[in-house]
Amino acid sequence: MMTRMVMQRIGIGFATLWVVSVIIFVATSILPGDVAEIVLGQSATPETLAALRAELGLDQPWYVRYFSWLGDMAVGDLGISKAGGATISSLIGGRLGNTLMMAGWVSVISIPISIALGLWAAMHPGTWLDRIVTFGTLSLISVPEFFIATIAVLVLAVELHWLPSTAYMTGEESFWELMKALAMPLITLVIVVSAQMIRMTRAGILNVMSSPYIEMAILKGVPRGRIIMRHAFYNAIGPIINVIALNLAYLVSGVVIVETIFAYPGLAKLMIDGVQTRDLPLVQACAMIFCGTYVVLILLADIGSILSNPRLRNPK
Amino acid sequence: MKDDKSPPGLNFRDLSQADKDLVDKMVKGGSGPVTRRDALKLAMVTGVSLTVAEQLLTNGKSVMAATPKKGGSLRMASNLHGPNDTLDPIVFTSTIDYTRGRVTYNSLCQIGEGLVANPDLAESFEPNQNATEWTFKIRDGVTFHDGKKLTADDVVYSMRRHQGENSKSVIKSLLESVSEWKKTGPLEVKAILSSPNADLPGLMGLYQAKVVQEGSTGGGIGTGPFVMESFQPGVKSIHVRNKNYFRDGPNLDAVEITAITDPVARVNALLAGDMQIVANVEPQAFRQIESSSTAKLLSIPAGLQMGICCLKNSAPGNNNDFVLGMKYIQDRERIVKRVLKGKGTVGNDHPIATAHGADYCSELPIRPYDPDKAKFHFKKSGYSSAELFVAPVMSGIEDACLTAQANCAKIGFDLKLKKVPTDGYWGAVWMKEPLNVVSWNMRPTANIQLGIQFAPGAAWNDTYWNNDRMGELLKLALAETDPAKRHQYYCEMQTLVHNESGMVIPAFSNVNDGLANNVMGIPNVPTGQVGGSEWPEYVWLA
Repeated sequence: MMTRMVMQRIGIGFATLWVVSVIIFVATSILPGDVAEIVLGQSATPETLAALRAELGLDQPWYVRYFSWLGDMAVGDLGISKAGGATISSLIGGRLGNTLMMAGWVSVISIPISIALGLWAAMHPGTWLDRIVTFGTLSLISVPEFFIATIAVLVLAVELHWLPSTAYMTGEESFWELMKALAMPLITLVIVVSAQMIRMTRAGILNVMSSPYIEMAILKGVPRGRIIMRHAFYNAIGPIINVIALNLAYLVSGVVIVETIFAYPGLAKLMIDGVQTRDLPLVQACAMIFCGTYVVLILLADIGSILSNPRLRNPK
Repeated sequence: MKDDKSPPGLNFRDLSQADKDLVDKMVKGGSGPVTRRDALKLAMVTGVSLTVAEQLLTNGKSVMAATPKKGGSLRMASNLHGPNDTLDPIVFTSTIDYTRGRVTYNSLCQIGEGLVANPDLAESFEPNQNATEWTFKIRDGVTFHDGKKLTADDVVYSMRRHQGENSKSVIKSLLESVSEWKKTGPLEVKAILSSPNADLPGLMGLYQAKVVQEGSTGGGIGTGPFVMESFQPGVKSIHVRNKNYFRDGPNLDAVEITAITDPVARVNALLAGDMQIVANVEPQAFRQIESSSTAKLLSIPAGLQMGICCLKNSAPGNNNDFVLGMKYIQDRERIVKRVLKGKGTVGNDHPIATAHGADYCSELPIRPYDPDKAKFHFKKSGYSSAELFVAPVMSGIEDACLTAQANCAKIGFDLKLKKVPTDGYWGAVWMKEPLNVVSWNMRPTANIQLGIQFAPGAAWNDTYWNNDRMGELLKLALAETDPAKRHQYYCEMQTLVHNESGMVIPAFSNVNDGLANNVMGIPNVPTGQVGGSEWPEYVWLA
């Protein structure tokens, strides 16, 4: 049952990737200008454009370009950047590492904090501490991340000189130096993703708390903490895992603003650069990674939900 | 910087090496102020008068205080970078490329202060009588970073890369007058021109005219002051001092070059001390930097052009009254003062700025802000509204257009502004939409600056204004060696563009960059960000 579901989902995942690749290809083609025009910019002339286009193979029809890309991709060859001439894998390699490192640290810090705070708020609903958590998370969800980031830079870097304003890594720093370099984007991202996860945890648990079997447990005289940990948490875990998965996927693909403000060389910024230069192989490669991340994480979240909730194993 | 107090020709720099050593010894040896005895000693040895000797010593002392210090390293943040960062000089298009180019390679000639073409890899260069041939003598004993000796073959190869049908060089059209590059000796190269060009050395100082090794596309191996240690496009590059550099060599041990695309984050990085040089500071940040105790603003008057193109091949730009209306409605003083915060100069609807030096036509009066004349011309043109495409192609250009819009509204003309992104702007909007904005970097010669935009049929003639007299004058001026006549030609060209072209140029922006307080020695070259990217060889840390 489980294996079949997983196989099915993997199949759907590949189909999704293919559809995304077509959409990206079409979308990038619709954008005004091609890579030759963008690279030459203001200094383009018809002759230099033609020379560059011929060199990059842009003079071929679109379907030839698409299928040659698809063929290369199928054997794991990401191709060569149209804009710079470097191999896509060399461009992506280091940046993927950076992105995963950032996402990893943010998750390690934010997931335990969020679940703990969410549980804690759910255990004491209506108290002033719960109100602080609710109010705080609501406010932080509404504040855009660039605002949090800019304020953090102004206070912690420009005024107090405690932390560097950019996440600039030399590649030779010790663990503490690395943590110091990454501190600002980490703080910003932890604040941004935790707020949502805290709210979801709290809401999910309170939702379950109103069901009849919890009422039964309360009437039986089970202490509230035990009710939540033994009965409510397992039933609320499905939505919580899903929110965590979505936030993780966001950390891999969607943190372009934080990467820009802190000049952090991550993957999201690379994709934006790729779009700006109409560098199709680069955009495609990033899109495939992002899409793949979503597919895998959501799959894992679903498996987690099913494992935690036997009812989902036999859908009617 | 010129020291007003010292008499002409009496600069420490102008002394012979022996005299310099003497002054050096005396200034260093004797602590405390300059005594009359010191002056006497110098006067006796060198034979100059006593007052002169005294002046020399005082001057020498102040020069000593500003003598570059060796050592240290710095980080520079440019404004743009991405996976298309390149080490191939012929396709350089961004400040970060130009900087890496200057760090890694050399040119035949180098643009210095006052837009003079100085010798670089060419130790001397000379034209024939009518400037149809230029001979470049290449410096002996220059080696590439990999140890190979620089020869005429490398130079000829590098220059030929700008020629031919398949060349993707961005300065191909500027070098079209060279029909052939020829090796005439192991260390001598000749450029044979199809039409006279007295400015060829200036062209050799362009960012893209760097010399690479024969058979290569650059690849980060050049003759330049720093050796490339690592290069990650869109991330950063690290360069260390070239111990075998043919000149005195750079002062720094290493430079790190990166970019921070967000302007606010870039300035913050400077103020927080993470970066020592940041390229392109926006007017909004001037006060923040000037009031900071850790950083300073480097503002070099330049010919960074803020332009509105009225295309002459379509309506409404084909109506010269409309264009004149657009020209008279520009409140030039206000744009310089308010939009550029004083860090700029007024434009006179032609591309030559005062920073171009002798070729600027000071005889031509600046067109005043005159709403009545503007109203008259708009009325005569028959138009009561128009749509201008605006993208933030340079800092302040949107605000300048808003100023024009407000002034137009006062006289009952409806100037609509259509805001578009810079992404894809050069391919989709510029030279296509009837009214659009443009920004042009300053070029090293007035001839290039005028020719690039206004030569009849030029690839970047962005107002489609084709004037035969203009084409004639461009050629005449290039072949002219008499300064007075040359100035006359340039003046006529500026007047033509000022009156007849579709180009509205209300202002020129200074080149504005941010420096940490201890960054010294950046040359005053106005052709681009941070001293025309000429800083790497000369910069030092106090």
